[in-house]
Amino acid sequence: MSARDILDVLNVQRDELPGLPSKKRKKLNSDSPMPRQTGMARELYNLLGPNTPPVHLGGVSGGGGGLGGLKDKMNLKPSPWTRLEFNPQQGNDSKGIKLYHWVKGSRELLEQEQATKEYLFAKFNTGVEIPELVGEELYEQYMQEFEEKEEEEIVQARLEAEARRKKEEERRKERAKNEEKKQAKEQDKDQSKDEQDKDQSKDEQSKGEQINDKNIEVSIDDAGAGADADADAEVDTDTGAADNTGGIVTVASTWTYEETKYLWDLCKAFELKWPIIHDRYTYDLGRTQEDLKEQFYRLSAKALDSHDAQSKALIDGLELYSKSKETERKQYLENLLKRTPAEIAEEESLVIEARRFELAAKKMLIERSHLLTLLDSPQSSQSILQYNSSQGLATLYNNLMIMDKNQKKKQGQLQKVQNSNFDPVPPAIPVAASSSFKKERVFQTPLQQHLAGVLKSNQSNNIKLETNSIQQLLMKRLTQKEEEAYGLHYHSNEKLNPGVLLRSAQKLPGLQQRQSVLKSVSTLLQELDVPTGGGTSWKPVMPTRKTMAKYDELIRSVVALLEMKKGKDRLEAEIRLIKSQKGLE
Amino acid sequence: MATSGNNTAVYGGDEINAIVLDPGSYYSRVGYAGDDFPKLVIESAYGESKDGGKRFYGDRVGLARENYEVKPIIKDLMVTDWDAAVEQYRYCFEEYLQLQYDEQPILITEPVWTQHRYRQKLIETFYEEFDFPALYLARKPTCVSFQQGRANCLVVDIGHDSVSVTPVIDGISLLKNSMKTNYAGAFINDHIEDLISSQYPKLCTDSYYKIRSKTPTTYPEPAQCVYRALPNGGIGVTPLFDTYMKQHLWHEVKEALVEVPDSKLHGGSKNISNSIYNQDQYKRQFQFPAGQYVTFGIERFELADCIFDPVSYSFKNAKYTEKYPPSNGELTLKNTHEDYKPLKRARKAESNQSTPPPLDRLHITGIRGLTELVSSTLSNIDIDLRALTAHNIIVTGGGSLIPQLTDRLYNELSSINPGLKIRLHAVGNASERTNQAWIGGSVLLSLGTFHQMWVSKHEYEEAGPDRILTQRFR
Repeated sequence: MSARDILDVLNVQRDELPGLPSKKRKKLNSDSPMPRQTGMARELYNLLGPNTPPVHLGGVSGGGGGLGGLKDKMNLKPSPWTRLEFNPQQGNDSKGIKLYHWVKGSRELLEQEQATKEYLFAKFNTGVEIPELVGEELYEQYMQEFEEKEEEEIVQARLEAEARRKKEEERRKERAKNEEKKQAKEQDKDQSKDEQDKDQSKDEQSKGEQINDKNIEVSIDDAGAGADADADAEVDTDTGAADNTGGIVTVASTWTYEETKYLWDLCKAFELKWPIIHDRYTYDLGRTQEDLKEQFYRLSAKALDSHDAQSKALIDGLELYSKSKETERKQYLENLLKRTPAEIAEEESLVIEARRFELAAKKMLIERSHLLTLLDSPQSSQSILQYNSSQGLATLYNNLMIMDKNQKKKQGQLQKVQNSNFDPVPPAIPVAASSSFKKERVFQTPLQQHLAGVLKSNQSNNIKLETNSIQQLLMKRLTQKEEEAYGLHYHSNEKLNPGVLLRSAQKLPGLQQRQSVLKSVSTLLQELDVPTGGGTSWKPVMPTRKTMAKYDELIRSVVALLEMKKGKDRLEAEIRLIKSQKGLE
Repeated sequence: MATSGNNTAVYGGDEINAIVLDPGSYYSRVGYAGDDFPKLVIESAYGESKDGGKRFYGDRVGLARENYEVKPIIKDLMVTDWDAAVEQYRYCFEEYLQLQYDEQPILITEPVWTQHRYRQKLIETFYEEFDFPALYLARKPTCVSFQQGRANCLVVDIGHDSVSVTPVIDGISLLKNSMKTNYAGAFINDHIEDLISSQYPKLCTDSYYKIRSKTPTTYPEPAQCVYRALPNGGIGVTPLFDTYMKQHLWHEVKEALVEVPDSKLHGGSKNISNSIYNQDQYKRQFQFPAGQYVTFGIERFELADCIFDPVSYSFKNAKYTEKYPPSNGELTLKNTHEDYKPLKRARKAESNQSTPPPLDRLHITGIRGLTELVSSTLSNIDIDLRALTAHNIIVTGGGSLIPQLTDRLYNELSSINPGLKIRLHAVGNASERTNQAWIGGSVLLSLGTFHQMWVSKHEYEEAGPDRILTQRFR
């Protein structure tokens, strides 16, 4: 059975040319290089059909197994490798050298190829394009311009520095004043014990500060002198940097044309890799990398400007370079690296803490939004027009009733599911509601009634029913007053342990709280002088049924109160936070 | 076009089997580019008969002969004896490798502190003495960076004569920021000799070549050995040859015993560390050629500590003290530009760079140990590159093979520079680490793009050595 047979059975048409004679086809099949395979049943192999097998079955090309393939390879003439002479620097013949490497191919062919093609790696020999250095005359002119500009800058810088110094002095004075005030106020505080006075003085103080504090970036905190010291240090570094830049500006004007040419040469040779250019710059060892950059950039900008207007963006970029800014930036980086491990650790911990705060705030906001959506939840998207008429109202009422019923049903079912784990009997009809119950009651003795009730309650697994029936049984004999007098009580749905139980050892449901809550409850009770049987015990002195019930109630309400207070506190805090965020406070 | 069609595109290689010559202060290496190991590792020393007769190279040096001296060729990675150097290289090229000079160019590695005149002499010698068609000079740290494939790094080379720290940026060594001291392998050797001559007076330190057989003894006991019959009853052996052989002995002691302690042994918490390293578990025995066993405890650690803290270890023998003048590692770079102008302003060259960390002792003595050398180099590098280089510190050279050296270096650097993330790279293979610069040269020469950099003899003749040096090998 061949592939063709299967295709025939499956009624699959081959997409062959119908005109092709079958003989030829046969020939094609027999001539194909696959036929003799080993390690595979012939029938199975035939199933592969004319398609190429998906798996490579060794020695296909040789047609005689693996060995044949190897033999074939040995017979094959290997492609020649030639040790070829080449010149990597074809561009300039005078510098040319002869190097030798091995290349695949015959010598004649390769030599021909080499004559026409350039060296393979020649295209990687690239350089950067930098603008030509301007002529000497133009250079002098430009340098003149730069100098004038610099002088202006110096004047400005000086003015700024002076302004800064003045400001600083002002600030110092203010600080001194503030401190004096503070001291005075502290004395005041000591003298006056009234709280209102204190508040007032504080207000005054803050007001005074607000008035004094105009235009000062560094906020002066009345809490710590440490902050003041920090501010001092900052100011010092600022002025230092200003002095420094001023110094550099004054000396940088000594560029000669020759030195600039030397710089240009290096820039070309090292492809504008500034660290290296600076390293190999030996004309004047005092120059910094920023000096070199400045000179190169400003002259390049000028040169480009005079030549073509197309590279406007580039020129703008070049002119943006500011040596003072660059040195300042490096100074800052320097300071960053100089931090001690303790400082780094502190910074890290601060960052972590900040992140924690952020997270907490986010969490709170999310909770808030959840709450808000819950409060808003039954916001109907439908219009209320249809309920405006009395008819509409009636339907609405009906709908609501149905919904209510459904909900109750669902709850009932839920309860049933919980209760009926062992007893899948459907709930009995409520005793009072069923008409048959009444009849029974009429004809049965109380005991029978009781038994029937017990039976029914057992059937339905409803504890309430059971207790109700007992109550009903006893109600026949005793009045409410009598019950109380005898101290009779129906434990309706409380779980009772078998045996005798002292009420003083009773577990109150109100006490089932977390330890921390209980603690705060007990402190509150102590504050209110509620007797709790003394010390750690949680019972009233006389644990009668009524007192116990009241006591339980009390505890529950205290817990509820505490929770309310907590919630209130939180809300207030939030309100304050949001207000401060919005700048209301 | 190159070796094999498809691979070319991947690694950009073009093998021309050029020669790489890497002269070192202890060993020099010669081999073909494209190999992963030099064909010949030869001592940078030669033997010579006193009457100026035949010279010996390679393995033939260490044979005791009458009236025969052994002299060094290279000091501080620079050739000092040009005649011998040329002869040694000729021996390598012609006898050992049997080269056809005109078939391949040669690459020579050089340290960063070579001066213009020395380099001129170097290329003149090579162009004129040998018939290589082309030549190139490459800085050693550059080669090391190529071996590791890290274009930006800080190369810490702990060699025999010198310890050098060089930043490499974009594959080019920065000369101004480089530092070098002589507190390296030979310094430890001298300390070993100093220690033994002062503390073990009864120890017989005759080298192996004198001893024929021996019976093991423990140190205070005298050595029991039979001496070998030397030419002319041993009288003919010159003191120079004997010192050479002793150097080998100290070298062996160093390789067998020395270990770096966790922290400085002198100054600071001295007593604690001393008591730790005197414990039995840190003691090692060494058998000297005459059969005497000596046990070393804390000395093992002190010998290694001396390259970290050379100030605390002074020689008992004055001749060594003279040999190692206090060095802060800064290189004196001369202005190579023809038109030197005196500095117009008294401004520090690194006004934009931070001053090195305040090491009080450093200011007093001006001596920098290994860690201080590295960290002061780091602090002199341009701030934008500092983090990058600190993250790529390559430790190389035979001296770095002392156990625990990289750990100590890492710990100290990290504590001195808390703001920087320090990462050390050291090749695990010992023979690769000692020959790292050579291997790097081999890598460099296998790149197809490199071959346009060769400076041919023709070009040299046309332009002259001065121009070649300033234009091509800068």
